[in-house]
Amino acid sequence: MNVIITFRNHENPFIPIEAEMITPDAFLEEKNEICVAVGNRSYPLSEVADFSIVGEASSVDDIEVLIRGDTSRVKRVGEYMSGGAITIEGDIGMHCGNFMSGGRIEILGSADGWLGREMKGGEIICHGDAGDYCASGYRGGRRGMRGGSVEVFGSVGDFACEHIAGGEVLIHGNTGDFACAEMKGGTVTILGDTSRVCANMSAGTCYVYGSAVEMIPTFEKKGTVNHDGVLFHHFRGDVANRGNGDLYTVHFTYLQ
Amino acid sequence: MDIKDVPCPFCGCLCDDVKIQIEDNRITGVENCCTLGNAKFLSKSRLQHPIMRKDGKWVEVSYEEAIDETARILSDAVRPLLYGWSGTVGEAQVVGVHLAEEIGALIDSTTSVCHNPSILAIQEVGHPGCTLGQVKNRADLVIYWGCNPIEAHPRHMSRYTTYADGYFIDNTATDRKVIVVDIRRSDGAKVADEFIQVKPGGDYLVLSALRAMVRGKSDVVPDSVAGVKKVQLQRVADLMMKAKFGAVFFGLGVTMSRGKYKNVRNAIELVSELNRKTKFTISAMRGHFNVYGFNEVLTWMAGYPFAVDFSRGIAFYNPGETSVIDLLEKKEPDACLVVASDPGAHFPKSTIEHIAAIPTVQIDPCVNATTALCQVQIPVAITGIESAGTAYRMDGVPIRMKKVLETDFPTDQEILERIVTRIREMRADG
Repeated sequence: MNVIITFRNHENPFIPIEAEMITPDAFLEEKNEICVAVGNRSYPLSEVADFSIVGEASSVDDIEVLIRGDTSRVKRVGEYMSGGAITIEGDIGMHCGNFMSGGRIEILGSADGWLGREMKGGEIICHGDAGDYCASGYRGGRRGMRGGSVEVFGSVGDFACEHIAGGEVLIHGNTGDFACAEMKGGTVTILGDTSRVCANMSAGTCYVYGSAVEMIPTFEKKGTVNHDGVLFHHFRGDVANRGNGDLYTVHFTYLQ
Repeated sequence: MDIKDVPCPFCGCLCDDVKIQIEDNRITGVENCCTLGNAKFLSKSRLQHPIMRKDGKWVEVSYEEAIDETARILSDAVRPLLYGWSGTVGEAQVVGVHLAEEIGALIDSTTSVCHNPSILAIQEVGHPGCTLGQVKNRADLVIYWGCNPIEAHPRHMSRYTTYADGYFIDNTATDRKVIVVDIRRSDGAKVADEFIQVKPGGDYLVLSALRAMVRGKSDVVPDSVAGVKKVQLQRVADLMMKAKFGAVFFGLGVTMSRGKYKNVRNAIELVSELNRKTKFTISAMRGHFNVYGFNEVLTWMAGYPFAVDFSRGIAFYNPGETSVIDLLEKKEPDACLVVASDPGAHFPKSTIEHIAAIPTVQIDPCVNATTALCQVQIPVAITGIESAGTAYRMDGVPIRMKKVLETDFPTDQEILERIVTRIREMRADG
């Protein structure tokens, strides 16, 4: 089954649209009416977007959803999805792929905050940049992303992979401040530069191919290791947190 | 006539030992109060009538017309924002939360721009806190981190810490040590036994280093951390561990500098670590006299302390998404009600421009910077002077605010109740 959703330009483009029902799972059940919220009003999807459904599906994995138009303020697309595929042609709003357990989301533009928050499985590919809290957790939560994979070709904002407890994240660009804060598991690879990385980590592994600026001063130096043909400085920590995580970085500086 | 033990409706210290002299229903004298509180008690300027912009000019209108217009603006809005709340009492805040739920609004308080990160940190790791009375009577080490009580909470040191007589402290001048951590030598720093000057944005790193030292892992710490020498850090860590009862107070230098809630979390975890060796507590230096009260009210009504979005009929909380600055920066709200605060004087320019671009109503006794951004302003009685109610001190102790002057002005609560009633009537009429 192919679903094509084209969001129309609306009168006030700044009002966010919450569209947690846009998942392959929702299209599997025919009797489902897809509704969205525009501010404090609720509408059927047809009110804000044109959409067409072609073909049939026997399982969620047969469903491909293509989303077009201005979706930079459309939130929660793919939330709780368990299979199938979503492709977003432009930018996407906050909380895309929250809690997803399977399937694939591909974003050709950039993503706003909380991309793949608390995801358990599946795959997210973002060709542009991602906002703050990419692959992280929720406020006050103890575990962020738990499984699956996230790949961002651009850069990410602050607090990327905060509380991450499992899964794999690959960031081709730079990160903002406090990447991998409170890290508890999983593997994060940053090909660019990062700031105050792995603060308070307790477990997990992080590779920084660029420079880790303002290194947290409570990591224990373990020497150098060769990984992937590159020489990395190996750190263990965060000692302040009785942590046992591994941080590998090519360059690092302290704020002295 | 003298009235004793009046709580001061200015800052989070909520000093309740103020003496007020009244002649002919006017305050003629204030005793025991600091300059900030004095100014509020003795202030004379206020707005006398509701005002509304018509054809680009301010005109005086009746309360009924102002309330009608407010109700119309709020019920037409798709993403209304109700902001402020910290300068009024719990009884009015309750009506505000009902209003937010009724119209599917976003509701946020000044917490969002002060101790928002403290709350986020507490939600992650808890709050080893205590009341100010405990600090006054027991603390032999007081740490002010990223705050300057002499300017912002002028009676904090004399009522609760450095200069206050304590039941278990023989000589408060010699037995109580004070440490100040700041990016500059403030007036507060001048009275400290130890002053730590941190490079701006370096608090997190210093806190991590101290945690490692308290754990006995000094060897991993480099010779200098964010401008602070390792020897000084070790001296401070030893002072902390030797204290019988340490109390940390932190301000916006910790919460609103780079790293935000991670700084606060690290401070809390330092205090937790110290509690393995001795007794330590940590408390936020809250600003408005009842900013803590709004957190209490919204938590018991909606489950979250600030930044709640009722637009889907349930309470959704996600600072960064549902908090006032982020919302205004993204130009989301299409109407705004400001109650008991002055965002016009404190917010970033881009957010103020958005407040001015949408229909905004203010409920406040005085003309202030926000007035210039509004379509309607409704003057009210001054809470804590002309109307009574419940406020929460910075340590979470509720204190009954007094009414010391008679007034014809309606209270915040009355105006909000009339707005809710009017909105319900409009909705019943379709």
